[in-house]
Parts: sequence; C-alpha cells; structure tokens
Amino acid sequence: MSGQYSIAIVGSGPAGLAAAARAAELGIAHVLLESEAHLSHTIHRYQKGKHVMAEPGALPLRASVPFAAGQREAILKVWDEGARKLKVNVRHQAEVSAISGARGAFVLKLASGETVQAEHVVLAIGLQGNPRKLGCEGEDCGLVQYQLDDPGEYQKETIVVVGAGDAAIENVLALSTNNQVTIVNRRDDFDRAREGNREAILKAIEQGRVRVVYNAGVSGVAMSAATRGVITLATPQGAAPIDCNRIIARLGATPPRAFVESCGIVFPSKDPNAVPAVSDRYESNVTGLYVIGALAGFPLIKQAMNQGWEVVEFIAGRNPEPADAPLLAKKFASLPGFTTVPAAIARIQQEVPVLSPLTPLQLREFLLDSELRTPASGKVIFSRNDYSDSFYSILEGSVFIAVNPDDVSELIPLGAGQFFGEMSLISGRRRSATVLAGEGCVLIETPRRSMNKLIASVAAVKRVLDETFLTRAIQSKIAPGLTAEELQGVVAKATVERFKAGETLFNAGDVGDGLHLIRKGSVTVAQMVADKETVLAYVPAGQYVGEMALLTGATRSATVRAAVATETIKLETESFRSLLAQHPSLREQLGTTFKARAAANANTPLGGGQQQGIVQFLMQQGLGEATDALLIDETLCVGCDHCEKACADTHGGISRLDREAGASFAELHVPTSCRHCEHPHCMKDCPPDAIRRAPNGEVFITDACIGCGNCEKNCPYGVIQMGSTSDKQPSLMSWLLFGGTEPGTRPQKADKPKTSSPKVAVKCDMCKDLSGGPACVRACPTGAAIRVSPEQFIQLTQSSG
Amino acid sequence: MSQPKASRSTKTERDSVHTGFLRHRGLLWAKIVLLLCALAIAGYVWHTPLDAPNGGTWLGYTLGGVSAALVLWLTLLGVRKRRYRSSLGTVKGWTSAHVYLGLSLIVIATLHSGFQFGLNIHTLGYVLMLLVIASGLYGLVVYSRLPQEIAQVRAGSTREAWIEELLDLSDQALKLAEPLGEDLHRKVVRSLDKASIGGGLRRQLYGQPESRRSAEDFRQSIEQRIEFLRNKINRPFDASVTRQNTVMFMANQLGGAGKSDEELQRVQQLLDVMGRRKALVARINRDIALHARLQVWLLVHVPLTFALIAALIAHVVSVFFYW
Repeated sequence: MSGQYSIAIVGSGPAGLAAAARAAELGIAHVLLESEAHLSHTIHRYQKGKHVMAEPGALPLRASVPFAAGQREAILKVWDEGARKLKVNVRHQAEVSAISGARGAFVLKLASGETVQAEHVVLAIGLQGNPRKLGCEGEDCGLVQYQLDDPGEYQKETIVVVGAGDAAIENVLALSTNNQVTIVNRRDDFDRAREGNREAILKAIEQGRVRVVYNAGVSGVAMSAATRGVITLATPQGAAPIDCNRIIARLGATPPRAFVESCGIVFPSKDPNAVPAVSDRYESNVTGLYVIGALAGFPLIKQAMNQGWEVVEFIAGRNPEPADAPLLAKKFASLPGFTTVPAAIARIQQEVPVLSPLTPLQLREFLLDSELRTPASGKVIFSRNDYSDSFYSILEGSVFIAVNPDDVSELIPLGAGQFFGEMSLISGRRRSATVLAGEGCVLIETPRRSMNKLIASVAAVKRVLDETFLTRAIQSKIAPGLTAEELQGVVAKATVERFKAGETLFNAGDVGDGLHLIRKGSVTVAQMVADKETVLAYVPAGQYVGEMALLTGATRSATVRAAVATETIKLETESFRSLLAQHPSLREQLGTTFKARAAANANTPLGGGQQQGIVQFLMQQGLGEATDALLIDETLCVGCDHCEKACADTHGGISRLDREAGASFAELHVPTSCRHCEHPHCMKDCPPDAIRRAPNGEVFITDACIGCGNCEKNCPYGVIQMGSTSDKQPSLMSWLLFGGTEPGTRPQKADKPKTSSPKVAVKCDMCKDLSGGPACVRACPTGAAIRVSPEQFIQLTQSSG
Repeated sequence: MSQPKASRSTKTERDSVHTGFLRHRGLLWAKIVLLLCALAIAGYVWHTPLDAPNGGTWLGYTLGGVSAALVLWLTLLGVRKRRYRSSLGTVKGWTSAHVYLGLSLIVIATLHSGFQFGLNIHTLGYVLMLLVIASGLYGLVVYSRLPQEIAQVRAGSTREAWIEELLDLSDQALKLAEPLGEDLHRKVVRSLDKASIGGGLRRQLYGQPESRRSAEDFRQSIEQRIEFLRNKINRPFDASVTRQNTVMFMANQLGGAGKSDEELQRVQQLLDVMGRRKALVARINRDIALHARLQVWLLVHVPLTFALIAALIAHVVSVFFYW
C-alpha cells in the first residue's frame, strides 16, 4: 500500500503524537508512522506505575492532546483516547528505513518494503534508537524478545539470553532464580559490563546457576510449537541447537544519528551529544524535513509536545508566536529599550559575537535558560574562589576583572560583546578572579548545562571558548602582561590532549617537549624513591606541569599521570621559544616564577611510605575529581552511626551516606557519599536540569527532579538513590519520653505513610541549607568524620599517622 | 593556587580538621577544667568555716550547686547528640567538654562533701556519681583503643561482604560434601548449622562455645577419611600432580586409585573450605564482640546516670527540707 500525504510524521512519542493530533485537528492529510504496536514506545517502556513529571512548570502546554504530571498508565491512556477521538491516522509496525526527497516530494521507505509519499516529513524519533536485532532468520518470530519488563513474569522456563552487556547480565541474573537460563556471549569474556555485574555473572556461572556459551553467534531461530523453539548457535565447535521457551536478545541499540544523517541532515560536530541544527521553524537543512523533540535537543515532554503543535502550524502556513514568548518577554523586561522578543533576540545575536553562530532556535532556547542581569555599577558579580560555574556574556556596558588578589585596584576592563566565566565552566573549579560590574552593564548569565549543550552543538562557539580559555590561562598563569595578539602564535599551535584515568602524560627521563596546562581533571606527580614509584604531589585543574621544558631542554624529572579523566592544553616548546626570543624579559620572569614554584613544592614533601600510599589510595577512590569528600578516620570511629542518623534526620528520613560501605586504607575510610565532583557525572544527562552547583561548591538536586534515575546510573560512586522523602521526622522529645522511633532512624513499617510521594533522586547537598555546615560532621561525637577538599589531602597525609 | 574553601572553614577549624574529641581545640576543655578545679581547691584551702568543711557553708553550697548543674548539663549530651539540626557547637566539642567536665566532678563534688561520708542518701549519690564516672572512663578507654582494633579486623571489608562470602563458602562446602557420602554430608550440614553468628549480648561479647563439638566431630571424620583414602591410593598425596600427567593418570586408573585420588582432592578442598569458613566466622564474631564492647558500657553509664539524678534530687530535697 502506498499513500500520498501532506505530512508524514515519523515516531509517535510526545512530539510526533502532538504533531499528528494537530494535523488531524486541522484536517490535514497526514500519517503517523510508528515502528511498535503502541504509541509512545519510550514512555510505554517506563516501569509500571512510574510517576511522569511535567517540567518545566512555567512553560504553558499547547497541544491538541492533554498532558499533565501523573502515572504512566493514565498519561498513555489519555493519549490513546486523544488520538482516537481526533482520528489520528496511525500506522503501527511501520519502521521507516530511509527517507529521500525534499519539500513536496518525499519518499519514505518502510522496513516492510512499502513506501509512503508525503510533501513534508516531521522527524520525531527521539534518542532511544532501535534495539539491535539478532540478524538471522527468525529474528522477529514470537520466540524472540528484545526487552524484559518484569523478570518475575516467567517461571520454570528454559530461556536463552543473547548479549554480554549490563542489560543482558542483569536480565540473566534476575531470571535465573526461577528459570533455567543460558547466556550466549559473542566473545570469551564479560569485559564490557560493569565490574559488579561481571563478578556476579562469573560467580553465577561458576556455581552452575547459569549456563554460558562463549565465542558463539546466533545462526538461526525456529519455532517448534506455540511456546517452544530452537535457537541454533554458531560456535567454534560447530552448530549447537538449544531447545528453549524464550529468547531474550539484549544487544544494545543503534543510535539514531546514522539514520538521521542518511536522510541528508547535517550534524554540526562529531560530538555524540551534538543535535542537528534546525531553523526557528524546526526545519533542518533538508527543506521540508522538520526535526522536533529529543532528537532536536529538547528532551522534556512538554517542550516536545509544544513543538509538535507548532511544527504543523508552520507547515500549514501559519506563524504562531512560540509558547515560550511570554516567558522570554518577562526575561527581557529589564532590558533597556526592550520592544519585542524577536527584536531583542536579533539585537543579542548582533551584539555578542560568541552567540552569533547560533540558529535563532538555539538562541531562543539558550536565552530561555539564561537570566538577564543589570547589576549596579561596582557590584560584585562573583568573587574569586566562588564555586559558581555559569557563563556571562556582556550585552551592554562593561565589567572589571580583579585579577590580582593582593591588589584589588588592579582591574582589567572587559567591554560589550565580550564574555567571561569560561575558566570555571571548563575546569569545573572555583572562580579564578573577582568580577565587578561597570557603568550601565547588561549581562546574560547562562547555566553550565546550556553552555555545555551549546559547546557540543556549535563548533564555532567551542573554538572561541577554547582559544579564549587558553589565552587567558597563559596570561594569568605564565606570561602576565602579554596581549592576546602577542600570544596568538603560541595559542594557535597549542593542542588539547585527553588522558584517561591512570594514563601517563609523560615519564621521568622523557625529553621535555612542552608544558601541560590542566584544564579539566587532575594529575599526580610521581618520582622513583628507593626503587618505588611514589606520588609526590597532586596538581588540580587550572595549574600546570612540565614547565621547565619551556625554558631548558632538560629531560622530565618526574612521571605525571592523570588521576581522573583529564584534559590538558599542551604548549609546544618550539612555538614558546620564539615568543621568548621576542620578549627577553619574559624568560627571566618565568625563571623566577618556576623556581619559586619548585621551591614551594619541595617545601611540602610527603611523609613516609604509607602517607604517599594514602594519596594514591584517595586518587583511586575518585577523590582526584572531588571538591569536597567525606572521610572517616577509623582510629576514631566508634560505629555509632550518628553521621547517618543526622543525615537522615535533616534530609527527609533518607541518609545520603553509607558509613560502612566503601574502601579503607591506612585507617582512612572513604564512605559511600557524594564527592561533589568538579565535573559531576550526575549532571551529564538530567532532562530537567535539576542538578545544580551552589556557590560554595555543593552539588544538589532541585525540586525539578522528574525521577528518571539517569543520575543514579551515571554516578560512578553509587551515592545517588531513588527514594521518597517525608517531611515529618520522628520527634526527639516524644522518643525520649515515650519511646518509639528514634530520630534519624527509618520509621518502622507500621508507621510508614500509606501514600508515598513519587520517588525522586536524593543525594548529599552538604547541608547547604543548614547553618553550621554538614550535619554528618557536626554529629560525630569523636571527630572521626571529616570533610576535606583536594587541597587538604597533602595536609591530611601529614597530620595522620 | 586557589585557597581552600574560605567561606566555610576558618583557619583554626582547618587545623583541627583531623583531631579527635580529646584534643578538641587544643585541649580547650581540659584547660578550663584544670582552672575550675584549681579554683575549687584554692577556695577549699582558703575557706575555714567555724566547724569542719561541709556542704552547708557558702562554699559548700556553691560547689554543690556547680556539681548539680554539671551533672544535669552532662546528661544533656544525650539530647544534643540527637538534635541533628542544632548548630550549638559540634557534638565533638560537646563530647570533649562532657569528658573533662565529668572528670572535674571528682574534685568539685568531693570538696562539696567536705569528706563527710556515711551510710546515707548523700553518700549514695556520691558513690553513684563515682560509678558513672568510672563507667565513663572505661568508655573512654574502649573508645580510644577498639576502633583501631576493629579497623584491623575489618581490613577494608564490610560485614555485609563477609556474610555474602560466608553463604558462598557454605554453598561450596555442601556441594563438595554431597558426593562424599551421606555421613560426611550430614556432619557438614550439622557443622554449618551450629556455627552461629551474633546472638544475645552475652554471646556477642563472649562468642559461641557450643559450636565446637560439631566442628570437632566433622574434623575427626574427615581426617579419618583422608587417612583411609591415602592408604587406598598407597602413595603420599601430592596436590601438584595434575590430570594432564597422563602416565600418572593411567597408572592410577590401572591401580583403581583414580577415583580415590579425585575423592581425596575433593576432601582436601572441603577441608580447606570449612577451614576458611571457620576463620571467617571467628572473624565476624570478633568484629561483633568488639562492637559490643564499644557499646556495652553505655548500658551501665546511662541507667546509672538516671539513678544518680534520682539520688541527687533526693539529696537536694532532703537537705533543704529536713536538715
């Protein structure tokens, strides 16, 4: 069957469904192509009863089907009903394999071989991608499934699980309690899985709870009865058939990017987080092909639905004001000379060069996340050592940067069109200077996440920021007094190098070929002491190593390794030498600076062998990327758990630290508790941008959390949990007088409220809202619990023992 | 270089970042207490009442009032410890003050008594106070010694991980014992059942005596089995002989000893697993015992405190109403 439509919509998630519903409402000939048998597959896949939130709260919803926060089932039901009522033309099991053509004449090829013709195409396929299939005969027969919703559903079956990643292992372990399970691994190890999963599966195999076939592929699947069949494995020993009731293939998903690119859509960079550039009408570089929703970089349901509605309006030739217009107008109200939103946006694009490469839509989104500031002259915008990480663009007026902490009158002016705050944004560390507002200054303050999204999507922005970061870093750390023009040669030759945790930047004895300015992460400096490599120093982001190479041709005196994933900017010796030749006084100045640094390092030697081991141990525990970590001195800890109780009592009944868990070394224990990383892993993929960093460095989760659990998965230290907090805590007086639940302990089952609030992510916020600092430390009766920043590690190794 | 967080920790705080409660703020409370005691002793020496020194003089009342106030304040540590939102000092500071001010009572309350003791409610209060202080001193000793011992026993592991390992070893033992005959299997099961962890306070503190018999029973029977198998194979057991050694394997087969060899290996493995399991149980029980010792003194200290307060009330009431 083929058809001719005005609009073909690919994907029936919130964005695609909203587009199809609007098209149906307007009576436009349309088709909604969905590869599954139901609408909104991603939300359909959420666990049963999951509470779906409707962030951002301030954004009005504009769609032909309703949406409000609520349970997954209720939302799906309302959408199904809406689609039926509006007579949305859905084609299920219609997986689009190729799109060709342009406005007026698109041909969409389906996996079944059929084609659909349409004048416009709206691509709303989200980011989940399609699960990889077995790639053999019978891959779609009733025996094979590509996901597992509820392992408890299956009892006493013979099940074959294909795959060796975390999803496959977790499925196998869950199924193996009630079923006979075989896991088929294409290779001979489980190295791709997380360590905990790897250990668990190997143990299960060793104990005979799970069978395994290594080095095997799947060559065929055939049904033999209604609920039985045979999977044939291709092993080095030959074909091996296994009789089974069910085959679960967990082979990952194909990211949608390759498909999107095959439609002719261009991505601005190779960054895996990059999203296709679209116009303010959501039109991609292919005319008539529109991209909306998560695929266009808008992961929230409400945003996606609004875009679905709007895109059909645009296609129908109307020009509705975007839903966010009132929000933007409110933001711009304080802008001197504000007339209309589009005029203000055009003005910003013109005035601020770093923002000019953005598409109008990107800029809109950027401004929606940003705040307009008009600080009075002389007001401090941020202070040196503040832990803020937002980015500022100067729209009007000027600011003054106090670069010298010893002399506050030494100010460097920065005019309209410039920007500042990129140092902390990139390094994840404290502000390196204080910035004061000048006369009539208008600033755009943008949060870290929006800026990072922009850096990933717009190559030009990334380049400008990188170069500015480098120039300013050289100016402040190495060659003060030189102008940006004078440094241009060195900056152009500098390269960004990336190192994995534990990787070597350079070895002692290597020829010194340049200086590494650490822009992200941290490194350890080690030397051979008595035939044993010992860590001498920890160097955080913002500092540099290997500086002597710039002045002398001497070989490296120490081995430098990345403590965590690290990015450095390498200044080549050669290009720097020519700079020195032009500025002879610089050489002398540098000699003095470097000598003073070397002397300072020599003055803080570490203690004996064990103390050096402590630094190494702390680095292994991820403290190399920490800004503030909880440590417990085991020689003082009496195990009273008042730290945990204090945490629970002050944080809605859930302790965010696990005292007993975690590693120990030399009587120093690193409990499972947030390290407030420089570049928090938890922030990486938070749809509502609910994870923020407070000015004192605390990484915390705001009320905007939608409970998706991404942060819990992304945290390498396991310090985030999903839980429902309660406002009411056990009372101390009633416990003292009448007994019952002690403050800080979990309420007994009988006391538990019957209706619990939805589960959200909870983590340590360093008690930022309590006067007096972290409750865990203040509640420790013996002084065993301490909070330390990386700068204090060295001090710690000296005072302990 | 950027400064450590200036806004939250002042310099003095940072210096004390890693000191225990006893040395809190450079022994501040020890110094205060020494001064307090010195003042009390000086006052006692300087003051010469008409009759012998006693609690009824102005100095006696003062010392008594200070002592009573101290006792009540010291009791408040239990409240402050659980007032997690309180920013009234740190619990560490309170503990430090608790220890030193508690010790000061030995001097101040004794001077208050004027060394007049007898079989009465007043001396009962005094004795109770000394008992509370003594139990507190014991607590001080365990607090300063046991955490280190626990850290050594733990060696970086956790009780949860131990329990997991224990269950794992039990599983392995049962699997190894299964083909070795019903008798041995039953003995392994009995031994596994008997070896217990934790229990009431007594058991937590002093361990599990009754598990010894079944363990001994198991050891004996397994040793007999090894002896028997060795004789059967008729050569010294050598674990390094691998099955790849074909000549040896053939020889064993011919002698009918192949099966016995395998069985011997299995028995040795079982012995090893049971040994590891036993060591682990001992370790867990040691950990439990240490933790119990860390807490048990509070079961004396706290009830005695309440007894002391009762006696104190009786003492004050009787002094003011019936003296």
